[in-house]
Amino acid sequence: MPEGRRIAIAGIAGHWGTALAQRLAADPSVERIYGLDTQAPAVELERTELLEVDIRSPALTRVLQGTGVDTVVHCGILWYPEPGKPARTLHDINVIGTLQLLAACERTETLRRVVVRGSAAIYGSEPAGPSFFSEEMARSVPLRSSFQRDIGELEAYFENFADRHRDLLCCMLRYQPEIGPELRTPLSRYLSLPVVPTQLGFDPRLQLLHSEDAIAALHRASLNPIRGAVNVAPSGSISLSRAIRIAGGVQLPVPHPLFGPTLSGLGRRLGVGGLYGDAVRLLRYGRGIDNRRLREELDYQPRFDAVSTLRDFTERRGTRLPAPGPGLPAALSANAGAAR
Amino acid sequence: MTPQPGSRAVGSTPAVAAIEFLQGLRAGLEAGLAPEAAAELAAAALPESVRKPVRGVLARLRGDNHEDEWGFDEELAETAYPVFELLYERWWRVRCTGVGHVPSHGRAMLVANHAGSLLPFDAAMITTALMKEHPLPRWPRFMALDWAFAAPFLGPFIRKVGGVPANHANATRILDADELLMTFPEGAKGSGKRYSERYQVQRFGRGGFVEIALRTGTPIVPVAVIGAEETYPMIADAAPLARLLGAPFAPITPTFPWLGPLGLVPLPSRWRIEFCAPVDLSPYPPEAAEDRRLVLDLSEAVREKVAGAVRENLLERGPAFG
Repeated sequence: MPEGRRIAIAGIAGHWGTALAQRLAADPSVERIYGLDTQAPAVELERTELLEVDIRSPALTRVLQGTGVDTVVHCGILWYPEPGKPARTLHDINVIGTLQLLAACERTETLRRVVVRGSAAIYGSEPAGPSFFSEEMARSVPLRSSFQRDIGELEAYFENFADRHRDLLCCMLRYQPEIGPELRTPLSRYLSLPVVPTQLGFDPRLQLLHSEDAIAALHRASLNPIRGAVNVAPSGSISLSRAIRIAGGVQLPVPHPLFGPTLSGLGRRLGVGGLYGDAVRLLRYGRGIDNRRLREELDYQPRFDAVSTLRDFTERRGTRLPAPGPGLPAALSANAGAAR
Repeated sequence: MTPQPGSRAVGSTPAVAAIEFLQGLRAGLEAGLAPEAAAELAAAALPESVRKPVRGVLARLRGDNHEDEWGFDEELAETAYPVFELLYERWWRVRCTGVGHVPSHGRAMLVANHAGSLLPFDAAMITTALMKEHPLPRWPRFMALDWAFAAPFLGPFIRKVGGVPANHANATRILDADELLMTFPEGAKGSGKRYSERYQVQRFGRGGFVEIALRTGTPIVPVAVIGAEETYPMIADAAPLARLLGAPFAPITPTFPWLGPLGLVPLPSRWRIEFCAPVDLSPYPPEAAEDRRLVLDLSEAVREKVAGAVRENLLERGPAFG
């Protein structure tokens, strides 16, 4: 291609949107980067033009048309409430936002590729079923939490969109939950607790994705997407009890009806916040997905497997529990810098 | 035998070793070591036989134990093994034949009859037979009913000793990895039989196991288990309770639930396990899995082989108790 790539990132203010823009800015094959969101990202981004627009609004179509992009990467799907984006707005942001974004993509003639950073929640969290879901096994179990249903709904829109536009390369990335000391996600903080409440009698199999693999896979898929869904997960799996021991915590099993309240009580005291609804089921029954398509077709080899992800997480976090409150990000980035 | 370097157990009593361990632990803690690190160092004072398990437990506390991608924890299985070995040798006096029919490497599927209403010990005893009698033993993976994985404590335990939820995707993945897979195609129809129906081998599902074996090119080893039927003689099924628990059946035996936890003690019937000659599926191409007639016929052939071996062994065993 003689000209460089022109890429729009929806949800630039979120962690993954910002991280992707930073990666793409360092890539000479990328000519222009546009960032769409309602607020500005926390850090200054180089070579990135910010366009203030709500992806739920029809104004998005005009904005996107004006950019003449060839690729849209949707990083605006939220797994849990964030500051300024409370729980009751998640359904609107995730489902209506995706719907509007796809409608805008339809009217953008220069567009060639659409990539969505979705979630493996489409496979649910059930006690039985396949131990490693592959891409075609989506929706083989009933979707129970509102987040799972939102993902199911937006994937249905996306599939329909891909069917109607065979000329576009449409790629859905199904992410397992990421952890990393620099992430302020509930699950990362949960694993950093000194005493970790678990559900009595349950020890789920988990796949937690290293934040570095999460962003590298997103970078690769943004530039060279493949058609259809791709599971993004580390190889292997780890039981929650072992993950907690590696992270240096002590398990506190509580009967599972009390798990949610215990966690939010403990969370308030330690400033780590509650877990989002989907994680309560995940931490009871777990979920494993097959990453062969990621490795062989998208051609991305995860650097960390399910166990080394936890080891690296613990090492980079240091032995101290990060102090709660506003001091958190600074302390963590200093920590992460020292480890490199 | 020459004492190993570092072993100070020669001539010292267990009490002395224990005191040395505690002294070492205290010295380590006072020197500012973490409790696990101090215990690790102090363990050098222990005799060889104690040192190994202590180190194992310490490694487990650090998360250094091994688990495979299915969540199978070989060390845990090894820890539970002596209990099953005792049941195998003393309690049920299992007599095992034809273990040489189980391939020592490569994919293979063990297909057995299923019984033992309350706790189906047949899977554990087939595993013990393989580990004990086979010249090149390996841990088999077994397929368990979905509802078992929803049960607290039971679900994680089954998984850690090699169980996986029974479905096509899991069976195929295990066989593609050239593992040994143990299945009970009768499922709950087999384990939930009344005592009066003992040793009547039930329908083998819908032949799904044959389909998978054809598709993955796996030889089938039929296995007959005698004795599991008498461990918990089911005299009635508390169906409403089963519905409440989401279980396929809720067994009532002469001792359970009347004697409480004591009712969980299985009766000491005499057991026999026979591994039959493998059914070779190599003449059929993988596409043969689409042929319903062939799949059902092969499934019935395997069922008859198991049922025949059950009848023979039942005659040879004689009375269940005594």
